[in-house]
Amino acid sequence: MTKTLLLVMLLGTPPDSVISLQDVTVSARSAQAKAATQNAVKVDAAYIDEHFSGSLMQSLEGIPGVKAVSIGTGLSRPTIRGLGYNRMVVSEDGIKHEGQQWGDDHGLEVDQFAVDAVEVIKGPATLLYGSDAIGGVLAITGNRLPARPLEASVSLFGHSNSLQGGLSARVAGRSNGFFYKANLTLSDYGDYRVPTDTIQYYSYRIALRDGRLRNTAGTERDMRLMVGWTDNERLRTDITVSNVYARSGFFADAHGMEVRLSNIDYNRSIRDVDLPSQWVNHLKVQSHTTYQLGTASLEANLAWQHNLREELSEPLSHGYMPTPPDSLERRFDKHTFSGTLAARIPLGARHEVSLGTGAEHQRNSRDGWGFIIPAFESSSWGLYALDRWTPSENLALNAGVRYDLNAIDIHSYSDWYRTPVGSDSVFMQRSADVRRTFSALTWSAGANWHNDDWILRLNVGKAFRVPIAKELGANGVNYHIFRYEQGNAGLDPERSYQVDAGIEWGRGAFVVKADPYASYFPNYIYLNPTPDYVEGLQLYRYTQTRAMRYGIEVEAAWAFAPQWELGLRGQFCRSRQLSGDKRGYTLPFALPPSADVDLGWHYDYRGCGNVGLNLHAVAAQNEIVPPEKPTPGYMTVNLSASHRFTLRGDRQLSLAVQLGNLLNTTYYDHTSYYRLIDVPEPGRHVSLRIKYEF
Amino acid sequence: MKKAIFLAAFAALAFAACNGEDRDMDKPAITTEGITASPSECDSYERGDTIRFCYRMTDNMELGNFNIEVHGNHDHHTHSTSDIECEHEGEEEHHDAENPWVFNQDYQIPDGLHDYTAHVDIAIPTHVDPGDYHFMIRLTDKAGWQEIRSVAIELE
Repeated sequence: MTKTLLLVMLLGTPPDSVISLQDVTVSARSAQAKAATQNAVKVDAAYIDEHFSGSLMQSLEGIPGVKAVSIGTGLSRPTIRGLGYNRMVVSEDGIKHEGQQWGDDHGLEVDQFAVDAVEVIKGPATLLYGSDAIGGVLAITGNRLPARPLEASVSLFGHSNSLQGGLSARVAGRSNGFFYKANLTLSDYGDYRVPTDTIQYYSYRIALRDGRLRNTAGTERDMRLMVGWTDNERLRTDITVSNVYARSGFFADAHGMEVRLSNIDYNRSIRDVDLPSQWVNHLKVQSHTTYQLGTASLEANLAWQHNLREELSEPLSHGYMPTPPDSLERRFDKHTFSGTLAARIPLGARHEVSLGTGAEHQRNSRDGWGFIIPAFESSSWGLYALDRWTPSENLALNAGVRYDLNAIDIHSYSDWYRTPVGSDSVFMQRSADVRRTFSALTWSAGANWHNDDWILRLNVGKAFRVPIAKELGANGVNYHIFRYEQGNAGLDPERSYQVDAGIEWGRGAFVVKADPYASYFPNYIYLNPTPDYVEGLQLYRYTQTRAMRYGIEVEAAWAFAPQWELGLRGQFCRSRQLSGDKRGYTLPFALPPSADVDLGWHYDYRGCGNVGLNLHAVAAQNEIVPPEKPTPGYMTVNLSASHRFTLRGDRQLSLAVQLGNLLNTTYYDHTSYYRLIDVPEPGRHVSLRIKYEF
Repeated sequence: MKKAIFLAAFAALAFAACNGEDRDMDKPAITTEGITASPSECDSYERGDTIRFCYRMTDNMELGNFNIEVHGNHDHHTHSTSDIECEHEGEEEHHDAENPWVFNQDYQIPDGLHDYTAHVDIAIPTHVDPGDYHFMIRLTDKAGWQEIRSVAIELE
């Protein structure tokens, strides 16, 4: 019964402890935990600093149920309880963050050094966030008011695996009503290194030199500026402009059809980016205003986001396509305009009503000789009402309802070259004009009860997600993984019904908690491999299936001595398809059960510091669906240490070191896109951050 | 109403926990067992010849379809499905292909079969580059698993 063993986990901290290694659990027993009916965990910048390990998501992996799926050291994307991509929302200061959510090799497009706090909501939260928040929400706050007239910090960071080096600087200040905050982050990394000398990609055997994935180097340049004004009483308004630019190479041996014939000398340098490569730029301009009107608080947000992305590769003929004139394989150019308006109105002493509305308009255009995603326009509008009722000090209840209307207009696409059909030849149409309108009524209700020792939570609800352009209208070769992908214009909006519970007990130096959940999807949308071939490649088609998911996260923590903490945490998640071609199989990329043991020591000597030892064990995953492979279990040992010196004045110097995979274990991440091409996860590595605040 | 949905969902969950045993978890196979397979490793053909393709395809449940693709191996890359290194004339023979033979064709297997011997005649054009080629066979089963087999051949 290894399953049961994995379920009975612990980690955390006593309610009043301030040991930062277990910030997660500390905040879980905060006022928020005692009031929220949903499973939410909030961490601040100090937590992210101390757990710094390459990317924001990797730094958040200590939260049970949260996992980073990493592509190299710089790129990683979040999953919550095994759901990611368009099944979760990333929001920044109240506005839904638009990335290029559909791709396996896209990062989060957020500067992690500009983050003040992150809240992770596990489970559906479409009530406040609309479509996509079916699996959870990662709500990033970057607009906290600076506390002092002038504050500044400089960080230097590095990662041994890809020989990453970077710098981040921040200046912020507040005088009278005026405030500002400016961030700049620069980072550069070399080719990603894995503990193997050969990998297998679509039956090709590829020898790696020095374990490096050729051409996976890259660079990132982020900047952000916020300026605002507050009357320090009722009104606060600010404007933020941010830009995230990233350029990186694609693993040269596992991209494109004929790359093995390339004349590029990829071994020339581990730091240069040759073809094939990608660059993305995300520009955001956002206005944020809050106003206190009597007892009611009002909030208004307006934003414009511009996502640009180009994928470049060597022009080569393929099938009937002649050699293209340039290296621009694909270009995506997406504009998103969004606005939200929300009000929180206390009614008497026991009720608080929240009302809100939001609208969004997107335009996506495409270019390049390769086709996979059509151009489209989409619009959405939503309206919600939520009541929070506190009948007694120990009990809180809430219930809400939301209505959404979404429309998408997909443009047809025809090849730029002719394909022979019989005795004639035509510009083949890849994707037809598609116009769809979706509406959804969703709801949620929950309760929270607590006393000195116990916290009990229960939440039920319905969530939804509108199918994206790729799912509706894709039609082309995915060169990243050698398959033909086809959308399905007839897909329905994906729905889910979920029940989510939480039980927590804490006394003295001991805390235990368990968060079970189950959800039923009448139509889960996913990319299904078929027995058919199209243009020489296996056809994968977007399909919807009835499905069930259920799981649990468990944590326990024990402060067994004044400066010592022992924690255990674990998670288990399982899914089943209940209809269609793959009835009886799991849903794709099922999260294997995992468990962590953490030992933490806190000390006060010339400032203060933490030392942590982590054992991370992951069970084998044999719950697979074509084309996945079973993935063996593994265990890694990780060490972390951080220290904060307080210097003269208010100045502080902090250091954080993470030693990952100390035993240099070779293992695979079942949920990673790299698993399909047999690329293992990094071996022993060190990441380091030095921060000076003044 | 909603209660009914949840009850149904949990019933489905309980059911799901113990079914799923009839899932096909095995890839199909491309074999030479019991037949005289063609082409076989390091076979040599004249341009203008016909390759009389013959391979046996099996699956534990039901076969899907197959595809044949031929591409130049003028750079001598290797496929993990074939460990055989054919004897190449000269050590440094790597060169750029000018007019390589490219062949890529999809074929259907009749429904309901779990053992099928495929016969296809493939004519080699006369005007293509001679040299080393990889002959790739791809096979799916009904569940969507795919098997790939690579055979090294040579055109003279």
